[in-house]
Amino acid sequence: MADSTHSLVKRALLVCASFCMFFFTADLAAQTSLPASPVTPAMHEVTDGYGRTVRLPVNPSRIISLAPSLTETVYALGVEDRLVGDTDYCDYPPEAQKKPKVGGVINPNLEQIAALHPDLVLMTKEGNLLETVRALETLGIPAYATDAHTVDQIISATQKLADVMNVPEQGRALTTDMEQRLGALQTKLSGIPPRRVLFIVWPEPLQSIGQNTFIADALRRAGAASIVESNQDWPQVSLEEVARLQPEELIFAPSHSGAGDDFDSIANRPGWGILDAVRNRRYAIVSEAIIRPAPRIVSVIEDLARQLHPDVFIEKPVTEKEAHPANSAAPVTSGAQQKPIAYRSIEAMPTEISCAL
Amino acid sequence: MRPLTIGRLFLRCGVLALLLFVVVVIALKLGAVQVSLYGLGRDLIRVLLHQSAAISTDYGMIVVDIRLPRILLAVVVGASLSVAGTSFQALLRNPLADPYVLGISSGAAVGSIVALMIESQLAISPEYAGLMTPFGAFLGAAITIAAVYVLGRREGQIDSTTLLLGGVITASFLSSIIMFLMSTLAGSSFRGATYWMMGSLSSLPPKSLLYLLGIGFLVATGAIYTTASDLNLLLAGEKEAMHLGVDVPRVQIVVYLAASILTGLAVSVSGAIGYIGLLVPHAMRMIFGSDHRMLIPASALGGAIALVLADTIARTVVAPSELQVGAVTAIVGAPLFIYLLRKRLS
Repeated sequence: MADSTHSLVKRALLVCASFCMFFFTADLAAQTSLPASPVTPAMHEVTDGYGRTVRLPVNPSRIISLAPSLTETVYALGVEDRLVGDTDYCDYPPEAQKKPKVGGVINPNLEQIAALHPDLVLMTKEGNLLETVRALETLGIPAYATDAHTVDQIISATQKLADVMNVPEQGRALTTDMEQRLGALQTKLSGIPPRRVLFIVWPEPLQSIGQNTFIADALRRAGAASIVESNQDWPQVSLEEVARLQPEELIFAPSHSGAGDDFDSIANRPGWGILDAVRNRRYAIVSEAIIRPAPRIVSVIEDLARQLHPDVFIEKPVTEKEAHPANSAAPVTSGAQQKPIAYRSIEAMPTEISCAL
Repeated sequence: MRPLTIGRLFLRCGVLALLLFVVVVIALKLGAVQVSLYGLGRDLIRVLLHQSAAISTDYGMIVVDIRLPRILLAVVVGASLSVAGTSFQALLRNPLADPYVLGISSGAAVGSIVALMIESQLAISPEYAGLMTPFGAFLGAAITIAAVYVLGRREGQIDSTTLLLGGVITASFLSSIIMFLMSTLAGSSFRGATYWMMGSLSSLPPKSLLYLLGIGFLVATGAIYTTASDLNLLLAGEKEAMHLGVDVPRVQIVVYLAASILTGLAVSVSGAIGYIGLLVPHAMRMIFGSDHRMLIPASALGGAIALVLADTIARTVVAPSELQVGAVTAIVGAPLFIYLLRKRLS
């Protein structure tokens, strides 16, 4: 009666009030899309790794990189003075750490990105999120994404990045060098059976790489074959399965895998003793460049090839050693077990390939 | 408790709305990039006077295009989760009921993930592609709540304990489905399982989505509000309410559907944020009593305030990086919940 009409009025008023509030706030949001900066520089259309057609400035001058590999590529192309921001994980080259940070790879801070007024944001389809792409689209910030699943695609992505940053010649010089070095390596390794390896992304739970990753391709180029047959990119593998497959070598990148800096921290984990490679201390440590689709991948492939196939790289010492085998200066490799072949090599390749059989 | 009059209702809601406004202004001020209060006030006034073109582009974009949409998102998501929680608690007469606990959030997350996967296979223009996910989330939430509803029925009546247990089990089952989908099918360009199970507001929603969320929230909350008096009677028990002339099945259907919409919309843009739907209704009930005509709007405003605050903490404590907002709500919410629970018992 009176009460019910009263409550009806209340409801109606409340609904009206909430509608008003909503449209007020929605209007606020609608009002706010600002046009981009009034000065429009020369633009061109490019297709990026997502297959999107993106409009980018022809000569970008304020670049933000959202992945360590892209930061490395920017430095390798010599356009680092145009890099105005990168992520917390961009640590190579060391100068890259001093650039203004925009947060992580997966959760970059949009405010920080916008505050740096970039005219180009570089991303990778592999590492960054689709929603970051969408957010940048919404904000009208030009973004270009690369997509590389093989070493060849890393090389072509490097060239495309050089084109996008308007330094095509530097790109050609860099990619030609990469191709030549890989070609030379391939010639050296031709006819040599690949070593069966386990690439350790993370030891506990054991995570390795799938066959469709650029890391698997890099391993192939270094004369190695990942034993994990998986179409997932980062498959979780059981130790049992690894024991069944018995890799000849373990490969890991210390700064990345949470394994600490040495082989023992992996070998001493419970259960790992069932692997022949652990018992025989067969392993290779490579730099974190192996997990970054950047030009440095070539150096790490060369380094790994030297660690896995030292014989191939010993030119004169082979004859020297065969000349006086009894007069061995280093009394290491006695017995059936082989000496561990492990170098802590980062950028430069190890030159001291000591007497490893 | 004094009787609820329309004046008192508006006064209380007005106070809460004012509090929300203050919290929103604080949230607009704080962030990874420093903004002066003066500049903020000047720009807000310009936006209200439709002179947004005059805003300096320097932080116009940051405050107005990044922070404001995110805060509005927090407002709608917080309000939605809180109203959904209020409804479930009333309907089940169970203080632990909430979309998160009943598994509806997880169901919505699974729906979102499936929609995302389908969407990436089809070539849909980006304006519409964004709408697939909320729809998938709604379907996921609706299917889950239907399943939980069936699980929770005993002799034709909903049994609160059975339903709650069914919900908990469903939630854990669906979480493993999320893990499975994430580790096998989804590419790396999607957010990981943590996002869906913990919740985050860092995705910048397109304008169309913000409108959809706002309208969906108003419609669903309006629908629930029409049952407010019936929900009050339901507090006495289902049979008792039925004797008092409440059309219990109709109320249940309306509230379940509306709450599924609220949960689906919220989860599709933010993942499963816990504790808001559990705590805010409790707190509001303690302040304002359990009259749902007051409780529903109070929960909506309270949920908005709580989530804007939580998200501001998530945005700022480790800036320029961010925390998951679900971690903030859990870290603040869990101890508070235990406190509320003990206070109730004593």
